Amino acid sequence: MRIQVRRTGGFAGIEKHAEIDTADRADAAQWDDLVERALADGRDTPPVGVPDGFMYQITVDGRTVYCADPRLTEHQRKLITRVLKEGA
Amino acid sequence: MDVPYQYAGPEIPRGCLASKHTFAGISAAGSDTAHTRCHARRMDATSRNPRNHSHAAGQVFCGIIPPHLLDHLSRAESSTISGRARRTLEHDALQRTRRRLTTVRGLAAPAEARAGSDKPQRTIYDAEHTETLPGTKVRGESDPAGQDASVNRAFAGLGHTFDLYSKIYSRRSIDGMGLPLDATVHYGREYGNAFWDGERMVFGDGDGELFLDFTTSVDVIGHELTHGVTQYTANLEYLGQSGALNESVSDVFGSLIKQYSLQQSAEQADWLIGDGLLGPDVDKGTALRSMKAPGTAYDDDVLGKDPQPATMDGYVNTSQDNGGVHINSGIPNHAFYLAAVALGGNAWERAGQIWYDVLTGDGLAKDAQFADFARLTIDAAKARYGDQGEEHQALLKAWSQVGVTNNQGQ
Repeated sequence: MRIQVRRTGGFAGIEKHAEIDTADRADAAQWDDLVERALADGRDTPPVGVPDGFMYQITVDGRTVYCADPRLTEHQRKLITRVLKEGA
Repeated sequence: MDVPYQYAGPEIPRGCLASKHTFAGISAAGSDTAHTRCHARRMDATSRNPRNHSHAAGQVFCGIIPPHLLDHLSRAESSTISGRARRTLEHDALQRTRRRLTTVRGLAAPAEARAGSDKPQRTIYDAEHTETLPGTKVRGESDPAGQDASVNRAFAGLGHTFDLYSKIYSRRSIDGMGLPLDATVHYGREYGNAFWDGERMVFGDGDGELFLDFTTSVDVIGHELTHGVTQYTANLEYLGQSGALNESVSDVFGSLIKQYSLQQSAEQADWLIGDGLLGPDVDKGTALRSMKAPGTAYDDDVLGKDPQPATMDGYVNTSQDNGGVHINSGIPNHAFYLAAVALGGNAWERAGQIWYDVLTGDGLAKDAQFADFARLTIDAAKARYGDQGEEHQALLKAWSQVGVTNNQGQ
């Protein structure tokens, strides 16, 4: 499973992008559950968000959902944080 | 699905993709309404001011995520939601309701706030590294300074912001009616951002590598609160050129708040946004933005290069960042800088007054384009200082130099 996260906006307006492939990972099963819940809570279209807030685009095996600060669900926040931190 | 927290005005920042900013594997779509709207808006802007978009000829195309890509996407099977997640979702629903309320222009301040004096009513909250707002109250207006530097900086920054609006522009708080000023610090973990959520300023501590604590710069605090002023006045749509104007107004007054607090003239000011905010991993950079020289704030291996243009020749068409609101704001930012330096003295006096007149006047539409804003400032300079004044001339020249209007202000 290929998970891509693109973060845009923010006060600095600097884009950040990262992705991971769970096929290479021993903890793939954990990711499955996290991804399922994060996608279930996502929107099909990008929200405008709040001034200077981060906006996120999460793409998993071709499916894309959107969300924005400060209204991430727990699962979205966890997934975004892990991918941006551990991904390449 | 529901669409809980969109502004009433614009739809979403889908739209004009530039060649350098495209989603991989996504091509321009055909007959979606947003596609049509995007063109309509652009043509309208172009017809009013051909100079406005001439740079973009042959470069811009409008597109959205193709509907077919979205259609086949299956919704994940719902499963038991943990108690914690359910609470988060309930919290989100509450936030969305608040959001909808606060985007309504002219939302009335609480009655007790209107009875206030010309003194601020500040409250600082601590999110304690969660992302739950507002967090725990840690300092009110009458409380003494504590040990937490972020709390103290936020408190002081709110005061500096209140002072400029109150003493120079006779504006009582951000809504003009004494609205209490709230801020939350220590938002999230290693959170490298600050934002305005419609009700309060929210500050992260930074990641410690690229960005430091966002309360570090008083102009950042002024920037966030000015989003509140804009929300209660022109309510510029946070998308495309009106969004870049929204951003620029926040940078302009954020910088003026810093200049006023330091009593610096236009010549003495650094005209930087986010000075001191860049962390130890950034080798080459001084700030996040420069109004004096947009595009030069940083050029770093990790952070990349400051993407801001100073003139319309460098206008960036992108679907990211609500249409590049933090990028193209460099153009009106630079126009303000040029006018302020040409006039000399304290920038908050004449240049700032003109910008304030436009922001709070009746002429500024929610979807105003750069050229609309330019003409309004030129008109405001004439109205306040006369058409033979150096203010009028300085503005004609400034907007012409950044390529938004010609030297006749057209």
